[in-house]
Amino acid sequence: MSLFHGLLPEYIIVGFILISLLGNMLSRKYHVASWLSLIGMLSAFVASSHLWSFVLKPHMFLGGGAVIDNYSLFVNLLVLLAGLGTILLGWDERRWGTEFPVLVMLAVLGMMILGLAGNVITLFLGIEMLSLPLYILAASTHTASGGEAGLKYLLLGAFSSGILLFGLALLYGAMGSLAFVNFAKTVATPTSPLLWAGVVLSLVGILFKLGIVPFHMWVPDVYEGSPTAVTQFMAFGTKVGAAAILLRFMDFGFYATPGWWGPALGYLAVLTMIVGNLLALPQKDLKRLLAYSGIGHAGFLLIGVATHNLQGARALLFYLLPYGLAVLGAFAVLSLVAGDRDQVSVSDLTGLAKKRPLMAAFFIVVMLSFAGIPLTGGFVGKFYLLQAALFANQPGLAIGLVLGTVLGLGAYLRPIQALLNNQDSDSTAPKPKWTLGGAVVVVVAVVGTIGLGVYPTPIVHMVNQSANFFWLH
Amino acid sequence: MIPVNWVVGLAAILFAIGAIGVMVRRNPLIMFMSAEMMWNAAALAFIAFARHWHDMSGQVMAFLIVGTAAAEVGIGLAIIVTVYHRRHRLDVDEISGMKN
Repeated sequence: MSLFHGLLPEYIIVGFILISLLGNMLSRKYHVASWLSLIGMLSAFVASSHLWSFVLKPHMFLGGGAVIDNYSLFVNLLVLLAGLGTILLGWDERRWGTEFPVLVMLAVLGMMILGLAGNVITLFLGIEMLSLPLYILAASTHTASGGEAGLKYLLLGAFSSGILLFGLALLYGAMGSLAFVNFAKTVATPTSPLLWAGVVLSLVGILFKLGIVPFHMWVPDVYEGSPTAVTQFMAFGTKVGAAAILLRFMDFGFYATPGWWGPALGYLAVLTMIVGNLLALPQKDLKRLLAYSGIGHAGFLLIGVATHNLQGARALLFYLLPYGLAVLGAFAVLSLVAGDRDQVSVSDLTGLAKKRPLMAAFFIVVMLSFAGIPLTGGFVGKFYLLQAALFANQPGLAIGLVLGTVLGLGAYLRPIQALLNNQDSDSTAPKPKWTLGGAVVVVVAVVGTIGLGVYPTPIVHMVNQSANFFWLH
Repeated sequence: MIPVNWVVGLAAILFAIGAIGVMVRRNPLIMFMSAEMMWNAAALAFIAFARHWHDMSGQVMAFLIVGTAAAEVGIGLAIIVTVYHRRHRLDVDEISGMKN
């Protein structure tokens, strides 16, 4: 397989970014770039699925900088799903201007690069490629908070990238190579303080992006202040990208010495699951509630890395899909209910079951999937994570997962209760309108969630092929 | 020839100054500048180690850091100016409107 063939999805995205820019230049029509980006991402989706059977053995390109395997293709499929959802949800948002689809595609490209990163250079470029367009999107004009979210995201993003970069520099100093695979070869020799500081700092940098608990304070503010479609993109896409690079970084670079970092990540995972879900309980603003639930779910994802076994990697990859589908569905309903506004509180949902029964039913399904109720994808995902924790002989992780799930259930039941409540519903409030884009996203999310809960086998099969980079061991 | 430890020590000091600056100062411009200082400290460390290992890839990384930092400054200053236009304040604690 040639480099061009392996990087086909990325090339398609780059091509369509340029074509969309040209389209914006040549045509005054608002939707030209949106249509072009939809076509571009769909063709990249098709290209990724086409490549699936070619790469059962990993292919290394650019001196180990780009690793094309089923893992990177699975990440591609997930982030393209997130990008398509964002374009559809932001379809009628006039205030963004025509650069919105272009920026979304750029961020998607960054996430795809994170999926295939094999050395420090691609890691860094992927993270920046993802972050820079998101700073602009978070600071879009006419949000209620007036660019505050963008400013906070920018400052903390630059800060965490600085920490990550310095950590990577120290790792380079300790090992003399930039490729993850070479880290593993030198890392078995006696350790130096340089190596320790490098591992700690680069882990802090990546955990910042993932939103793990001691480094989570930016997440709620940024989620609340950003436009709804962008928040959905951050909650789904950024989490996929950060989790993908974390798993690849640890399991390529440091698989020989899991004793150093496994326990530390395990404690952070338990802390994150409990604190994130606990803080979600009292939230009144729905976006804030989903932000804290996103922090809790980052903790669930971290279990998959901390267990450091094949089951853990598979469970993490699997869990990304039900989580992402639930995020898509929840934010789609949120943006339909919100209409032109940016803020949605739990009380805005009051009486939705009477006004829009179908919309309310869809919202209940995705909330139950977040909570991990059987027959939804979230349940299957949590089941696999629990299994991985027990296989790794780490009952503490399993207990934390159960505790976090129970706390989370309390948080998710409050919006459901509000939307079933008919008593004090304000009958003068306008009915939320269905839009075509929102309807498509909600239906796909709900069908996917229930499908994963009832018949997860095809995705499990894909995930088993994806987590094949344990060939290194 | 300057020993590599000295250069890396300088980079570590620059990094610490930058990190403290981000945490202590409240003006977004200064905070942003401090964050850029952390990036430059990392670039310096990469170059020092590249010479130590006689390996070009560290220098490539330093170039990419400088290029990316330039892109980030372009976006960052635009965002800071936009926020200033809207609020006429440049203090992250005063700008902060979102609570709990």
